[in-house]
Amino acid sequence: MQQRRELDQVYINRKLLNGQLDTPKWWAPTVTFLGVVVVIGLVVISIMINKGLGVTGLSRPVYWGLFITTFVFWVGISHAGIMISAILRLTQAEWRRPVTRAAELLTVFSLLTALVFPLIHAGRPWRIAYWIMPYDISRGIYPNIRSPLIMDPVAIGTYLTGSTLFLYIALLPDLGNLRDRTTGWQNAMYTVLALGWRGNPRQWKMQTVGGILLSALMLPIFVSVHSIVSWDFAIASAVEGWHSTIFAPYFVIGAVHSGVSAVVTMMALMRWLWKWDDFIRPEHFDALARLLIVVATGWLAFTFLELTFALYGQDAPEIALREMQMFQWPWNMLFIIFFLTAYLIPVPLWLFKRVRNNIAMMFWTSILVNVGMWLERFLIIVPGLARRTPFVYTWEAYRPSGVEWMIFIWAFAWVTFLMLLFSRFFPLVPLFEAKESQVFTDDVMIGRAKVPAIVREAD
Amino acid sequence: MATAEFGSHNWGMVVDVDKCIGCNACVIACQAENNIPLNTQDRVERARSISWIRVERYWEGDFPDAKARFIPIMCQHCENAPCEPVCPVYATYHNSEGMNVQVYNRCVGTRYCANGCPYIVRFFNYWEPVWPKSLRNHLNPDVTIRSRGIMEKCSFCVHRIRRVSRKARSEGHEVADGAVQTACSSSCPTSALIFGNFNDPNSKVSQMKEDQRHYTLLDQFGTDPNVIYLAKIDADKKVGAGEAASHG
Amino acid sequence: MKLNRREFLALTGKTAAGAVIFAACGLPERELIVQSPVDLPEDLVRGEDAWYATSMGDFTNGDGVLVRVMQGRAKKIEGNPDHPVNRGKATARYDSALQLLYHPDRISEPMLRYSKAGNLVPIDWDAADTRFMEALSNATGALTVVTNPLRGHLGSVASKFAAQYDGKHMAFDPTEQGVLHGAVKSVLGQDQLPTFDIANAQTVLSFGADWLGTWGSPAQFGVKYGEFRGQHNRGYLIHAEARMSITSAAADLWLSPIPGTEGDLALGIARVITSEGLVSNENNAAFNAALPGGLGSHGIVDVANRTGISVDRIENAARYFAEHTPSVAFGGGSAGAHTNGSFNLGAIYALNILVGAVDSKGGVISNPSSALDGVPASATGASFGEWEKELAQWRAGNVETVIIRGADIVHGMPNSVAIREALKNVPNVIAFGAIHDDTMDFADLVLPEQTFLESWGSDIPEPGPGYQVIGTQQPVVGLTISNDESGLISDARGFGDTLLDMSDGSYGRNMEGLVRGSLSDLHDTGSGSVSASSASLFTDGALQRGGWWDTSKVGSSSLGKVNTSQKNASYSNTGSLGAGNDFNLIPFHSTSLFDGRLAASPWAQQTPDPISSASWSTWAEINSKQADDLGIREGDVLLIRSSSGEIEALAYPHPGIRPGVIGIPMGQGHHRSGRWAEGRGSNVLSILVDQKDAATGALAWAATQVRVQRAGRRVKVPKFEGNVEARPVEPGVPVLVVGVGETAHDAQEANHHEYQKQFLGESRESGEHE
Ligand SMILES: Nc1nc2c(c(=O)[nH]1)N[C@H]1C(S)=C(S)[C@@H](COP(=O)(O)OP(=O)(O)OC[C@H]3O[C@@H](n4cnc5c(=O)[nH]c(N)nc54)[C@H](O)[C@@H]3O)O[C@H]1N2
Ligand SMILES: Nc1nc2c(c(=O)[nH]1)N[C@H]1C(S)=C(S)[C@@H](COP(=O)(O)OP(=O)(O)OC[C@H]3O[C@@H](n4cnc5c(=O)[nH]c(N)nc54)[C@H](O)[C@@H]3O)O[C@H]1N2
Ligand code: SF4
Ligand code: SF4
Ligand code: SF4
Ligand code: SF4
Ligand code: SF4
Repeated sequence: MQQRRELDQVYINRKLLNGQLDTPKWWAPTVTFLGVVVVIGLVVISIMINKGLGVTGLSRPVYWGLFITTFVFWVGISHAGIMISAILRLTQAEWRRPVTRAAELLTVFSLLTALVFPLIHAGRPWRIAYWIMPYDISRGIYPNIRSPLIMDPVAIGTYLTGSTLFLYIALLPDLGNLRDRTTGWQNAMYTVLALGWRGNPRQWKMQTVGGILLSALMLPIFVSVHSIVSWDFAIASAVEGWHSTIFAPYFVIGAVHSGVSAVVTMMALMRWLWKWDDFIRPEHFDALARLLIVVATGWLAFTFLELTFALYGQDAPEIALREMQMFQWPWNMLFIIFFLTAYLIPVPLWLFKRVRNNIAMMFWTSILVNVGMWLERFLIIVPGLARRTPFVYTWEAYRPSGVEWMIFIWAFAWVTFLMLLFSRFFPLVPLFEAKESQVFTDDVMIGRAKVPAIVREAD
Repeated sequence: MATAEFGSHNWGMVVDVDKCIGCNACVIACQAENNIPLNTQDRVERARSISWIRVERYWEGDFPDAKARFIPIMCQHCENAPCEPVCPVYATYHNSEGMNVQVYNRCVGTRYCANGCPYIVRFFNYWEPVWPKSLRNHLNPDVTIRSRGIMEKCSFCVHRIRRVSRKARSEGHEVADGAVQTACSSSCPTSALIFGNFNDPNSKVSQMKEDQRHYTLLDQFGTDPNVIYLAKIDADKKVGAGEAASHG
Repeated sequence: MKLNRREFLALTGKTAAGAVIFAACGLPERELIVQSPVDLPEDLVRGEDAWYATSMGDFTNGDGVLVRVMQGRAKKIEGNPDHPVNRGKATARYDSALQLLYHPDRISEPMLRYSKAGNLVPIDWDAADTRFMEALSNATGALTVVTNPLRGHLGSVASKFAAQYDGKHMAFDPTEQGVLHGAVKSVLGQDQLPTFDIANAQTVLSFGADWLGTWGSPAQFGVKYGEFRGQHNRGYLIHAEARMSITSAAADLWLSPIPGTEGDLALGIARVITSEGLVSNENNAAFNAALPGGLGSHGIVDVANRTGISVDRIENAARYFAEHTPSVAFGGGSAGAHTNGSFNLGAIYALNILVGAVDSKGGVISNPSSALDGVPASATGASFGEWEKELAQWRAGNVETVIIRGADIVHGMPNSVAIREALKNVPNVIAFGAIHDDTMDFADLVLPEQTFLESWGSDIPEPGPGYQVIGTQQPVVGLTISNDESGLISDARGFGDTLLDMSDGSYGRNMEGLVRGSLSDLHDTGSGSVSASSASLFTDGALQRGGWWDTSKVGSSSLGKVNTSQKNASYSNTGSLGAGNDFNLIPFHSTSLFDGRLAASPWAQQTPDPISSASWSTWAEINSKQADDLGIREGDVLLIRSSSGEIEALAYPHPGIRPGVIGIPMGQGHHRSGRWAEGRGSNVLSILVDQKDAATGALAWAATQVRVQRAGRRVKVPKFEGNVEARPVEPGVPVLVVGVGETAHDAQEANHHEYQKQFLGESRESGEHE
């Protein structure tokens, strides 16, 4: 199964630190370009905050639109990090090694991006401090803990803190490495960040135990985050298409689907951009594609269940909504695209080993999944509001405005920008993991399966 | 429902749909009373106009049997309001007098409550409200002007309730039935809108709500509104026809 | 804080789990209820308000209102509960009028045009007075005072002023009531319009007049309608109008006759009643006496063919009307706006004779003449025929000075009379008003006029409540000031006061004096709603209550004959108007803008039309089936062409209008009229064709035929309704309809079954109950 060749330590160092030590030529222009897009996005956001939400395409009763969709989308993407690192770490899946850091990074940056949306979609963002912090203890006014909008920042905040720690702990050995290879201000920076990492056995032990403990802690949080995000909708008892009982697991599995796909996209890019063919290998894509087949099919089952539950009740408004969502222009067009891209095109393709091992194919199919998963959220959120309510009189459609699209684009530029910026200062593939995998690997039998695993000496 | 004895208030409205002629007097009275921003053409076209009370018109049948049915809809002041639990900052909550109240200063403008409200009676200020200076003369000093970015909705003319009940308290008597009139109920030419205290068993609203025509809107949601509707009467409707057919 | 088990359970029962933890930390229990302890800012009530009673003559038919004033600013206009006409209730027009008072485009000072081609330039009042005097000094015999139909003291001042200069006082009303006044006079012998005892009627049969929305005295009729519906035996309303107005919508039976056949319909109903012997011989005889030529050719099938209404419906209407008494019949509006208008309305009012409803409970109630000598209790616009003659004089240069107030004649006159040319040939056009209107573009002198909230006057409501009323009008605000440094909004003067200043003083020095004087005269009669020991206390009492009324001074009728000079309607010609489809044009009053006099008010502009929910625009209502056939969709810009001009309107198809009829609201299409009205929509009045009622010469404003063509553009109709036709998704939601005696619960059950059946199909639904 493994198609690796032996690499020497110097080669690993040189290759994996190429982002920091000899920055590729495309880096500066790309980052500058993304930086410009990010700045434009920030200006548009400021204009929106300054002028008011009138600049969006929102109306009555479509009070939520592109922003909340994109929020859910990025929270979904963030599920990749934990899925890849924590679960695979706990199950000691060896192939995870080269991709863990990028996945964790994606978690942190997509959460940071996701959090922006609930903030800016509010009418008075500057007052949101009131909402997240119990601000008025003297008069006994607390935030309303019954509201998912309070649970959201709590869950996401916890997730973000956990993921950041997780990322940082795994970064420590590499920071030490970088400190030893740099001079001047960079050296000073890495010295501070490395927290005195010397790589002694005690430090290694603490680092490993910390990583495993955090992995275990993060798993329930990972499940809670998208469950809670789903409750933003599931508790709105009067909104057809929202008040579904199945939403929590449905959202979680959907998040894994989109998150893992995003990791695939990112891996392909990393392999191409930094020429890490030796580290990010087809076998990794193969493994992720197999995982995705399972996840996507599970997700599909939930999608069908959701529809079945909705239709089984034979509740007219519910059926009217589904009819609109699936059969009425322009929703039907979006629905078809959603279904093709989120499942029908990629999953059958992944059944072929040739596709799974073809980086370009994996790149494009994983992008398709995220197009589809974005549309999925859009198709849940907007038709639910634009639906034919019992008060037909106030039925309205929604068309996102230019401002909303700009901010939507900003989010993608922003995440990529942060990733690239990070790549300039920190290795995207953990050096120690790469080396460890060279040193401590073997194939072990688990039941009847032969899997790669770490063989570690006891100390 | 509140259980308090008479003397406490549970404000509510009874809407006799049979009397409503769709004249919109209530709509404009509410605009004037509550400093609602001007609904400019752009706001109307983009479905952002604000109208704490609106008169909906439904078509039934076709020419020459077409019927237009009107129904005035304002916040139903639900006892069990779906808009309330979702508000992260308690900017909207139920008070002890049967009203769903909106605290503008607290509202951060998530619009979550508006998604939760099945009656679509919550209105978001997409823009800062502006009046030409001279028109600001007619603004009601009893009612806060809402800034952009926040939610607003029918308040049951809470400032009128406060004025009347303070006066009654200072004069040492109960608020008499009918003493509090909301702007809409006071304007309605046909008296389709009646406002009063459900805790007073002798009040007009308490008696009207016993009418056999009483119903509440969207009762499948269990919101327990404090706005009670009395059904429209169609003199030519064949009573029992539907039932007979379905049971037969 | 110590909690025992019971308290703890009580707490956990009603609070979120988190709150319990806070309780344990020692917060008082009351903080735990999930309710904020803060009060609304609205709790801080500042200042005292005062409510002044006054009358709203210019924008209603004399409704009495209370104006809420705080710190010298008018805040709100509501009905005056004491006033016998509207009894505390309102229409959608009341508050809109408030915005004229504080309108940012109010004319702030007098303005003069030095030459016909020049611009208006501000001048001071002294210079304006001088110019006014000059215009009057050589105008003797060649002066015309143009106003809206004025009752009360202002009406008498305008007439006397015109008389002083040997001039004319002509009232202008784009949808003049002359036909109605004529019919009421000839059939019932009344000078004042009667009212109708709707509240006590069992059946109301009305034609053409949207009396719940815009016709006559909607607030008064609305109050009565509420009582009519609330009676022990709920009343039955039959309404005949080609388009669905709110009165049609309120009707239990809506008849949609071909426009112009309302008289035929009335006689058809009479035919059914007489041939089925549903009324007494006495009534029959009285009816026949009132109808020259008797029922003639009005056989029921013939009537059905002519009116386009099925025999069934006519018979049902007739039987209900004759059998469920007291019943009352009345009409007006578009029913009288035809070449046979006098016949139509005559026939309609004569129906009251057939059911014995004249001057009886639940029937037609006559109104008495004015309580004050020389103060008119009734007013109507001069007929279109008279206007054509008058304007010919203007064009010929035979009129030296025209004084205009309250009537935007340039906006209101059809194109056919070439009003602009006529005005250009009048040397002195003096226009009063609060906001620059289309007529002022042709004025030589523009004088800022006080609104009804700033000036003295009186109004005698028409139709009144059936007895004598004098409604008083008093200033409720002082100087019209704004809250910024700009200070004065308008240095306006009252129309009446200005005329009196220019007069010889023989009929008064100022309006306040006139009103107070008349009130003391009333004191001397010693009767009525106000009693006081002295004339001055009496006057104050009347002003506080908004007027004086005397329920014992009632009117009476004397039966006459229906004018049958022309029985059949004729319509204008569309022969040479190019491509398109022909429609009967029915202009209708906007509930909020009325005929356009409130177009300057943004509240009036934004008020949704009850039927289309449209605002801020001019739309054209056409039957939805017909629209489908013609490929017309909502928002299509339609070119509406008559032989006197063309306008554009946005198509609004709906099921509530007769195919072949197109309904267009009045009130838009102003060139001027402030920032909110300028250049908005189209003026349907401009394309009316000069058809006239045969008997009175009144403009037959519903007799225009138009040719309709799509312009090829489509825009969004600014309306409140969403982007689909609003029909209930589920029967009974949200408007639950019950039959007489049916409970809401039963109706909901039945609807539910009905719905299940529609939804699941017959078989499943019955299976469910097996
Ligand atoms: N938003 C929200 N989500 C929740 C919860 C919540 O309260 N709110 N509660 C959580 C809990 S505790 C639970 S147990 C789960 C429950 O989750 P679900 O099991 O999804 O619960 P329901 O929505 O009650 O039922 C699902 C569907 O089954 C249909 N159904 C009814 N009878 C039958 C039948 O005889 N046969 C079949 N095949 N279908 C039938 C119903 O019409 C409905 O559409 O939801 C969890 N998720
Ligand atoms: N009509 C109908 N009835 C049903 C069902 C249905 O489908 N239809 N479903 C049934 C099913 S499957 C279920 S599971 C039940 C659910 O019924 P319940 O168990 O009553 O469920 P909830 O109302 O969700 O939760 C109960 C209370 O627990 C509080 N709570 C939340 N967290 C905590 C905590 O940490 N500690 C404490 N002490 N309290 C907490 C909540 O605020 C809430 O007040 O409903 C059942 N009833
Ligand atoms: S009607 Fe809507 S806004 Fe009013 S209390 Fe109920 S849920 Fe809340
Ligand atoms: S919009 Fe305001 S009131 Fe509504 S949920 Fe958000 S913060 Fe609360
Ligand atoms: S301005 Fe008003 S609401 Fe704000 S802190 Fe001061 S008192 Fe409170
Ligand atoms: S009760 Fe007051 S706030 Fe509510 S709709 Fe009526 S007028 Fe408006
Ligand atoms: S004022 Fe009364 S009759 Fe008119 S629309 Fe409102 S509720 Fe209906």
